Amino acid sequence: MTTSEDAVAVLGAQAPPAARRGSRWRLALPVGLLAVPMLAFLAYFFFYPAIQLLLSSIQTQDSRGIIGRPFTLAHYARLINVELYARVLWTTLRISIITSVLATVLAYPVALVMVKSRPMITRIITLIVIAPLIVSVVVRGYGWQLILQNGPKGMLNWILMTLHVVDAPLSVLYTEAAVVIGSLHVFFPMMVLPLASALGKIDPNLEDAARMLGAPWWRVFLRVTLPLSMPGFVAGFTLVFSLTAGSFVIPAILGGASAVMLGNLIEQQIFVVYDWPFGAAIALVLVGLVLAVNGVSMWLLEGRRLRRPE
Amino acid sequence: MDERFSGFGAFILYTITAGMMLFILAPLLLVMAVSVSDSYFVTFPPQGFTLKWYAKVLQDRDFLEAMRLSILLALGTTAGSLLLGVPAAFALVRGNFFGLAAIKGFLLSPLIFPALITGLALLQVLTKLGSQDARLNLLIGHVVVTSPYVIRTVVTSLQLVDENLEDAARTLGANRLTTFWRVTLPQIASGVAAGGLFAFMVSFDNYPVTMWLANSEYSPVPLVLMRQLVNVFDPSVPAMSTIIILMAMVGVLLLEKLVGLRRALAA
Repeated sequence: MTTSEDAVAVLGAQAPPAARRGSRWRLALPVGLLAVPMLAFLAYFFFYPAIQLLLSSIQTQDSRGIIGRPFTLAHYARLINVELYARVLWTTLRISIITSVLATVLAYPVALVMVKSRPMITRIITLIVIAPLIVSVVVRGYGWQLILQNGPKGMLNWILMTLHVVDAPLSVLYTEAAVVIGSLHVFFPMMVLPLASALGKIDPNLEDAARMLGAPWWRVFLRVTLPLSMPGFVAGFTLVFSLTAGSFVIPAILGGASAVMLGNLIEQQIFVVYDWPFGAAIALVLVGLVLAVNGVSMWLLEGRRLRRPE
Repeated sequence: MDERFSGFGAFILYTITAGMMLFILAPLLLVMAVSVSDSYFVTFPPQGFTLKWYAKVLQDRDFLEAMRLSILLALGTTAGSLLLGVPAAFALVRGNFFGLAAIKGFLLSPLIFPALITGLALLQVLTKLGSQDARLNLLIGHVVVTSPYVIRTVVTSLQLVDENLEDAARTLGANRLTTFWRVTLPQIASGVAAGGLFAFMVSFDNYPVTMWLANSEYSPVPLVLMRQLVNVFDPSVPAMSTIIILMAMVGVLLLEKLVGLRRALAA
């Protein structure tokens, strides 16, 4: 009896993995080859162009527009030393950080309500949060242009003046504030979705326990919910920051001349000035910024330096 | 109302959430409202009701040409990223070879790389190659940015496939191709469809790659809209925008029907 049971147990435990290993061994080569076309495509049209761009950023362009030696770091120095360009870099950083912080503060309540409400409400909120994500950024920027329009014909000014909140129209359009508002609108879902997924994984018993032990709602949030939702926050913050820093359309529509970002400067250098090496150098600074933020975020998430909800 | 929220905390949560819902919808609703305004300039509040701006847009050769180009481009992009992405997803889930994690990271890297720079870098290389056909260049650029979405959704659905069913089919004598068509594909069909729909929508709305690779002859919808926004001040711009919003809504509802929105967008 015991021996036959042992035999079954041994067979049951070992036979399938052995068979599977056998089939895996036969399948290993062809299955891996399926990735080759995609790899080749990306290597040639994504990786190689990126390297070329990096090379152009440290070379010199002659009067005929041909890029070659000598190697130089002058283009990078120019971005930092010329005040006009340095200001664009700081504007970009400022707008990206403010947008990410605002998105975090406003996304927590939305994500909490989304996760903890009845299915019907969750569904409606999810739909409203996600739907604009698929509407063209140009359309959304245009919508904000109509709302923020300077002068009494803009929707915001019309409402404020009709309600006698202000006497003279505000000038919000073509400022950094307008770009922050537009970016917040465009990238808000990128913060809500990871937060909601992290919040959804938190064991509700933990919060109930804290509440039963007498903690007020804000302490439950600060001591239990917030620490356990950190992975969602880190992922969302990284996404919003990277996407805002790399944006072009929103600052072009809402920022005008007073809130030029790196993306707009690159476009100007390439399409108007035809200065490829300088344009490439600005592009590489933007890439460096985005990759650095992503690197820190991966280090935080994968090194399990954050307590993950179980 | 849920019992977990009560008192002042609940009041703050619901107020902010309601405010954000309004914030999200306001610009879209305003655009739609202004598009039927019976006035020669876009103003607030909208006046009267007319559909003449839609009539104008639907006779606008530039817009119709752009629509045709964008739809064809998005279809081509969908086909291209599915053809390349679905096999790659298979390799990532079923493969067991050295460097698998690194290859997965590489295949998904266009997602974190700023799309604006992806387009710029591609423009430089395609110019050097002498590739002058804007339509081909756009197709290449769009496949680069959409294929990671396809890979991600197909990988997720492949991980849920029950491999025992495939083993059973093989044991019963089905060959590898039949097993794929009759057993594996039906299980991942919704994931493949969601990935394809995603590719279509990302391609249709793409601006940061498109702006580098398009030219005056071949300009997709987002570029034409951007140009109109600067030059045209009558409500035909909101009418165009409304058409785009309605198309996006159809896409969202399809996605929700196919896989559920949260799952489709989960990283």
